[in-house]
Amino acid sequence: MNGIAATLKTCLSIFRIKTAESLQYRMAGLAGATTSIFFALIEITVYTVFYKYSSNQNAGLAAGLSLRQAVSYVWLGQLLFLMQPNFIESDILGKINSGDIGVELCRPLDLYANWFARTASTRLSPLLWRGLPIIFFAVIMPPAYRLELPSSLSGMFCSLISTVSALLLCTSFGMLACSVRLGIAWGEGPTNIIMLAGSVLSGAYLPLQLWPGFLQGFLLFQPFAGYLDIPMRLYLGTMPPSDAFWAIGLQLAWALLFAAAGKAIMARKLRNIVIQGG
Amino acid sequence: MSALKLYYKYIRMNFLTGLQYKGWPIMVLQVLIVVITDPIGTLFMFSRFGSIGPWTVERIVLIYAMAVTSFGLAETFCRGFDYFPWRMIRTGDFDRVLLRPRSLYIQIAGSYFHIHRLSRVIGGIAAITWCLWKQGVRMDATNTAVIVLALTGGFLAYSGVFIMTSGIAFFTIQGLDWIYIFTNASYQVTRCPIDYMPKILRNLFTFFMPMLVISYYPASAICGWGESYFAGLLALPAGFAFLVFQLLSGASV
Repeated sequence: MNGIAATLKTCLSIFRIKTAESLQYRMAGLAGATTSIFFALIEITVYTVFYKYSSNQNAGLAAGLSLRQAVSYVWLGQLLFLMQPNFIESDILGKINSGDIGVELCRPLDLYANWFARTASTRLSPLLWRGLPIIFFAVIMPPAYRLELPSSLSGMFCSLISTVSALLLCTSFGMLACSVRLGIAWGEGPTNIIMLAGSVLSGAYLPLQLWPGFLQGFLLFQPFAGYLDIPMRLYLGTMPPSDAFWAIGLQLAWALLFAAAGKAIMARKLRNIVIQGG
Repeated sequence: MSALKLYYKYIRMNFLTGLQYKGWPIMVLQVLIVVITDPIGTLFMFSRFGSIGPWTVERIVLIYAMAVTSFGLAETFCRGFDYFPWRMIRTGDFDRVLLRPRSLYIQIAGSYFHIHRLSRVIGGIAAITWCLWKQGVRMDATNTAVIVLALTGGFLAYSGVFIMTSGIAFFTIQGLDWIYIFTNASYQVTRCPIDYMPKILRNLFTFFMPMLVISYYPASAICGWGESYFAGLLALPAGFAFLVFQLLSGASV
């Protein structure tokens, strides 16, 4: 028991240090925010054109997403997208590639826990310097481009909890990819393909509600809806707060599953790990 | 000539290095999936909402594919520039490059190459072919020439962007993310039908970074949407002008 408490404490410290460290890169964050805002404005223009001038204008409403909601979805999507594991944390990748992983293994700390804390910090920190300017911009936009207020207070609250679960989900999935990456001879192919599945199915490309109708059931239950679509539905009110319980449960269940799988793969790979360099 | 030979040797070496990894076919597959899934949002939107006036899915995808293919070509052959800020300036490896009595541009352009980058080009060309076939455009000599010249122009223009990135990297390597507006984000602009595109975007991507000149105008010319062949043929000079402009500003850095 004492061991677990100590590990937890260490991991929290790692998380704190890493987060504080990455918050120093203010310029990088602001430059990144420019791109996100640019992206969001293009997306909003495209949605507006579709909702106003297409031959089947009511298709969006029929799918349960109004133009205003779609606009808010774009803004929050740009924010939560930053949390998605689209790459392996460069620190960790460097350690795997250079052989520094040997040093990491000498530490009296579980490798999975150690890297989990690091990954979580990398997932979270862009939300601040890069995310805050995006939200600031989104709120001061003219009405047609503005991020709307949440549908209800309870919806907002559920959405926040769901975002925290999304962080856990993103981290555990990132760690799964990271464990696969330990098989260094395979290169980046397998990990990238794993992470790609997440970024396509998360709803960052297109709100999941606007995907074809027959896919809807699958889309809601697949793990990556938890990245950003579930927090978003709760925020926009397209999912009532009464459904939040099972939706967040679903996110956490997938997170646990990925964490277990990641840990198992890591344990397996570490049994005959090749340390690079020398 | 010796420069080209050197570039070829660099590319060959990097190519063979890439093949050492067991997972390289998966990497090719992965980029192919990226290429296929990237416009999936647009396709789903069209299938749900239908066309926007005369703008059908084939039209939008054609313009998009023209831009993506050009970007893919530049990415394949000038990828080194993209990695330059982090791989060379930050680590100080650039000093070693400076010591060698060969062109800096060649050395940097050749410093990275991977076969999987070509999948964007292959996917793009497949999409262009499909769109042209869908619209019943006859591929006679003129039209083929327009497409090839447009892609060449696009290749030059996007290479120009990469060189611009490297030039700016001497001043800051931290705040470079906004450059994505002219690379990966630029071809997303083509998803918006040109009649509805905000003026500022249209001007930015026509007169500064000639992304629309290498995608929309050639496509419009050969499919007969109203732009003249003259406008379609501007792609190559425009791309070339942008590249030269960037090379000159790069040289002054």
